[in-house]
Amino acid sequence: MKISLNWLKEYVDLEGISVDEIVDSLTTSGLEVEEVIDETKNFENIVVGLVKEVKKHPNADKLSLCVVSDGEFDYNVVCGAPNVKKGQKSAFAKVGAYLPGLGVKLKKAKIRGEVSYGMLCAEDELGLSDNHDGIMVLDESAETGKSLSEILNKNDVVLDIAVTPNRADALSHIGVARDLSALFKRKLMLPEIKIKETSTPSEKLARVIIKNENDCPRYVAKVVTGVQVAESPGWLKQKLKSIGLRPINNIVDVTNFVLHEVGQPLHAFDLDRLADKTIIVDNAKNGEKFVTLDGKERELEDSFLMINDGKKPVAIAGVMGGENSEVSENTKNILIESAYFNPGSIRKTAKRLGLSTDASYRFERGCNPAGTVNAARRAAQLISRLTNGNVAKGEIDIYPNPIAPLKVSLRFERLNKILGFKVKPEDVEEIFKYLDFKIEEKSEERLTLIVPLARHDIEREIDLIEEVARIYGFDKIPLTERISVALNAKVDQTDFDFTLRNYLASLGYFEIITNSLLNEKDAKFFGTPVEVLSPQTTEMSHARTSLIPGMLQTISRNLRVKEKNLKLYEIGHIFELKNEGVLNNFDDLIETEHLLFAITGKELEGEWYGKDLKFDIFHLTGDFDELLRKVAGTDNFEEEYNFNTGKIFEYSVTKKIKQKVIAKGGKISDELLKKNQIDQEVFLFDLNVNILSEIQRDAPEFNELLKYPKIVRDVAFVLDKNIMYKDVVKEILKGSSKLLKKIKLFDIFESESLGAGKKSMAFQLEYYNYSRTLTEEEIDRDFWNAIETVKKQLNAELRDK
Amino acid sequence: MEQKISEVAGSFKAELNNVKDETGLEAIRIKYFSRNGLFSKLFEDFKNLPKDQKPKYGKLLNKTKAEAQKEFDLLKNKINSRKKQSQKFVDLSLPGRKKTVGSQHLISQTIKKISSVFKGLGFSVYTGPEIESDENNFEALNFPPDHPARDMQDTFFINDNFLLRTHTSPVQIRLMRETNPPIRAIIPGKVYRNEAISAKSYCLFHQIEGLYVDTNVTFAELKSTLVYFAKNIYGNDVKYRFRSSFFPFTEPSAEVDVWWQPPGKEGKWLEILGCGMVDPNVLQNVGIDPEKYTGYAFGMGVERIAMLKYGLSDIRILFDNDKRFLTQF
Repeated sequence: MKISLNWLKEYVDLEGISVDEIVDSLTTSGLEVEEVIDETKNFENIVVGLVKEVKKHPNADKLSLCVVSDGEFDYNVVCGAPNVKKGQKSAFAKVGAYLPGLGVKLKKAKIRGEVSYGMLCAEDELGLSDNHDGIMVLDESAETGKSLSEILNKNDVVLDIAVTPNRADALSHIGVARDLSALFKRKLMLPEIKIKETSTPSEKLARVIIKNENDCPRYVAKVVTGVQVAESPGWLKQKLKSIGLRPINNIVDVTNFVLHEVGQPLHAFDLDRLADKTIIVDNAKNGEKFVTLDGKERELEDSFLMINDGKKPVAIAGVMGGENSEVSENTKNILIESAYFNPGSIRKTAKRLGLSTDASYRFERGCNPAGTVNAARRAAQLISRLTNGNVAKGEIDIYPNPIAPLKVSLRFERLNKILGFKVKPEDVEEIFKYLDFKIEEKSEERLTLIVPLARHDIEREIDLIEEVARIYGFDKIPLTERISVALNAKVDQTDFDFTLRNYLASLGYFEIITNSLLNEKDAKFFGTPVEVLSPQTTEMSHARTSLIPGMLQTISRNLRVKEKNLKLYEIGHIFELKNEGVLNNFDDLIETEHLLFAITGKELEGEWYGKDLKFDIFHLTGDFDELLRKVAGTDNFEEEYNFNTGKIFEYSVTKKIKQKVIAKGGKISDELLKKNQIDQEVFLFDLNVNILSEIQRDAPEFNELLKYPKIVRDVAFVLDKNIMYKDVVKEILKGSSKLLKKIKLFDIFESESLGAGKKSMAFQLEYYNYSRTLTEEEIDRDFWNAIETVKKQLNAELRDK
Repeated sequence: MEQKISEVAGSFKAELNNVKDETGLEAIRIKYFSRNGLFSKLFEDFKNLPKDQKPKYGKLLNKTKAEAQKEFDLLKNKINSRKKQSQKFVDLSLPGRKKTVGSQHLISQTIKKISSVFKGLGFSVYTGPEIESDENNFEALNFPPDHPARDMQDTFFINDNFLLRTHTSPVQIRLMRETNPPIRAIIPGKVYRNEAISAKSYCLFHQIEGLYVDTNVTFAELKSTLVYFAKNIYGNDVKYRFRSSFFPFTEPSAEVDVWWQPPGKEGKWLEILGCGMVDPNVLQNVGIDPEKYTGYAFGMGVERIAMLKYGLSDIRILFDNDKRFLTQF
């Protein structure tokens, strides 16, 4: 919302207060000034120039070479205007001036071989009008060298204020002025309304019927006859222009002026175009078509509140008028509407129509039902003055159930308890007086106030406390030197995530954060997704069902910038529905936290100390084991191996505990890689953090340090190629006693010499006991027993030395 | 005999002088000191000498051999140490075997940093689901249906009752429903806004909210706590202001700005967080007596704070996950 300081000063005396102070006070008290537009800055380096000489340009017929003085120096200026004359005074833009009409900052320029130090300007170049007939000729009395902003009275400062949705009362110049009067303790000056009215009462000239009293609690109509529609006078046009409005004619401009003066939207109907000279406020008929002022045809719904005449709709109440009753050049008699509509009703209509106007913006936030008559009278006063119209006596005021103002009490003790410091009762009282509250009752303990009807945001004691705080100033609330802390046990639900992050970072992984929203195809590929309504793009239509798509997109993006060796992880939520399309309560939804870590590319590439080494599945499983040893104290889980598992993985391993899947990891399928334009192998592990956190160990168990020697024995088996490592380990364990503490695979070897389809696996077995030294004999017994078990169960042989 | 000895000693000296390396040394050792070497031969000759001459030549021979041996050892040591020195050479300027420590995302690091400030003030840390009910996200927080306040947040609705949370405040509702005051917690997490992606805004971001409900919680304490926070994040001499604002779930409400002065540029106020006293309606909605208890709440955007601190101008860089970016933090 734009507020002109010059305009504002008509309602509150701001003498001696700087623009900065005004901006700071408004901003800290809740009317945030987002931008300060200082008009004088637009005219920097633009002054009254005296044309001392005019000569023909040697190289161009239509150009002149002029000497222009700014009272101090003479400048050579090339001018193309036909009306430039010696002795003339004109708008002279010096080097460095900004010309809004051209959108350029002036520089020294060479024009057809002649240097020009500035420019004599036409009105359009200065952004003053569309006039480009020639350079602007100023009155002879204009003092040479004086700033053009002073000559033209362009000294306004316009504030762009962001008004929070609770402060409908501040959506006007008087609304802002009222806050300033409270902030600086200056009196608010409201315009005096005196109208000479005719003897014909308004009721004789028009009629108003409200059929929906709920959505239209009050409707005021004032009639002005014999108007002459014309261009508005300069003062009015300038006011509207200063806040970015386009002047139209003296009737419409007055209604806009009053809206921005007091915040009450008005509408002027051409009374002669209203059938039966009647206004009927009622709901629209479903499907009916209506052409609004902007020339667009709109389809109406029966929830819309409409203004109708005796026959047809003439305006969408509170949103926009219709073409069929618009004020035109030929309009003679008008009806000024000043109504109070139900905010919720207007909001719904505006939202359905996708149409937000200055009027609907205010009505849906809540206007002042008590201000309707005054606004209508103010408009009538100005219209009669500007159009020579005759104002009919009184106004039609349909207000079947007058709204009573609220009475709210403020306990001083409560005020101090909430704010944490004492505000003097007399200061509190003064604040409310400036804000137009009436004092109903006051005592040592409390103040009972009558809330102005414009203040829809004030219903409760806490609302009054906020008024005191914002006007008194948050700055004045003192800092306490100490704070109180409740001494209950502390919880940190993010602790586990940060533990995981620490371990993964130690393992060389970098954390990524990807978009939780996916396109439908990707989301459905991994599960039954949740769909969001009206996303910005179809790429973000579903909540993610897996962290894998985000990871693959990230890898793909990095490959494009030639970052090929990657170790990445993400911790995030994934979302699935139990039944497609069904989300009625939280039980229909499965939201889990996952951890995904992935590797791709090479561990070692182009280094002097070793050959290139590609990442493979065992880099991944090794990191998984180490992570789990750290987190859960074990890497021993039930495992399922899957080959050619199809769409996600080419091969994968599933890790489980007590039938619950903790994690699944493997090599990403070619199909998925191709879809993401990835041309190298990707290995990743996907862990369920919720289950992982259930098996996390509180603290590692302490094991006594071994005091007796370890005994190691090596053995190499020749086995069928397709026998798995874990089966060999299982059999070794089966054939061993508890003396066997560790099994380490230290070599795998395949060769024709072993026989077709055979391989060799060599193990080192480690034996010890915490309470004694083991004897060679008992180890031998154990060792050979294990060997025999493996031989028998797996059809293995010992490998010859 | 004397002549023989001096001949051997002479040739030894001459040859030794020409020795430059181990091979030469070994040749000399074999020629003079081995079992069949020249010195052994002299001793054999000595054995055949008449008895009366033995003491005289014995002394001379021993002395000469000992001297020769001494000179030989000296040279041997010299050559050996020279050799050792050349073997010892290590090119310490070679690049080491590369190891990489990974990292936490800048957002995680920032959350951790902010959390640690509040944990130091006795706040617990809670989290919650990202898909929430309209009830928890809006209604319990005093957003009436069809109120313009809802326009302040563009919401990803799933249906009439469910949505992607627009702030972490629903966790406050859950906490207040499930536990009794005193409640002193911060809540970090992802939140969603249905906005077009641009340099300034992304469809998701991270928030940290705080809540303190107890008897005698005041705005003055809220202000003091947040000033302490700002000093810890932006430095002890941070310039700040509290600005009255509006949130449906707090009253009085304020926003906090800090003065940001980038080097060589014009300084400006930048909003870093919103805060206020928990609205009595919210306390009532969760069954806490607003006459007995008061509370404050605050919330801040993590991205905004991180971008400010590290001078990032485009929020999207945080979600592009470019390795060249990730490895910088």
